[in-house]
Amino acid sequence: MPPVSDAELIARVVVVDDRHAFSELVRRHQSAVRATLRRLTAGNHALADDLAQDTFMLAYRNIKSFRQEARFSTWLYRIATNAFLADARRRKEELIGDRTEQLPDESSDDAGPQDGTESDHAAGTGLRIDMERAMAVLTEGERAAIVQCYHNDLSHEEAAWVLNCPVGTVKTHILRAKQKLKARLGAWAPE
Amino acid sequence: MTDRPDIASDTGDDWLDAALRGDGLAHRAEYVDDDGFTARVMAGLPAPATLPAWRKPVLALLWAAAGIGVAVALPGAATDVMREIVRVFVHPVSTAQIAAGVAMLGAATWAAAALALRQD
Repeated sequence: MPPVSDAELIARVVVVDDRHAFSELVRRHQSAVRATLRRLTAGNHALADDLAQDTFMLAYRNIKSFRQEARFSTWLYRIATNAFLADARRRKEELIGDRTEQLPDESSDDAGPQDGTESDHAAGTGLRIDMERAMAVLTEGERAAIVQCYHNDLSHEEAAWVLNCPVGTVKTHILRAKQKLKARLGAWAPE
Repeated sequence: MTDRPDIASDTGDDWLDAALRGDGLAHRAEYVDDDGFTARVMAGLPAPATLPAWRKPVLALLWAAAGIGVAVALPGAATDVMREIVRVFVHPVSTAQIAAGVAMLGAATWAAAALALRQD
């Protein structure tokens, strides 16, 4: 039997408040939503899971307003991003302060390839770790734009819908974010 | 994505664009185990809306009141109905009338059953 589509599960939730259908939707999308929030929170898994739980609660309460103008996953990204941005506004000092303390100094050897003899896999892992740390220096808007466009593979138009801002703002966020990341990750640039 | 490459070439940071794309691929390949997350979400949902126990008796009373109201509002209707019932049972009836009566009784039974078995 083919798997039931998201649209059919959503219809069941809307029409007869089918809890099993909603739990199936959560099960299907929890990984993507939690992974996105982990990126947005710069690796704070506990906070990401709290926000993910809020995201699905809000999705349940507002599922009747979902009009299929976007994919269900994109709609969830929008709710998750809004939850993250609202939370970030509340705890801005704490979030940035904590992460900045953990960041290596720009001149530190940690912010670049470790050793020429290391394997490509190790180098790739090192770059990903440095990338995650460098993401923490971005503003919430810049980080959200990078995460939606690169990690969730959304178009600029979709990202603009998720972030509830004009496409031009998304492009500006990405440009500024890349300038900051370039400064942070300069040691990884090819000679 | 539609116009990401333009941004990369604008700033001359193709290596960074490639690194971000690689990071994005790794991100999408990553699976976060449910580990009880779905159960926690479901436990946090508001309780399902249930109809109060007094709803059905009250509805029955309202229907009865409405029926009495109609009977009072249409004087003579009840008498007419009773007279027709007596006429049907006193006078001999044809086979066609019996068949029609059975069909009407069946339809009424089906409608009543459907009403009783419907999900509230």
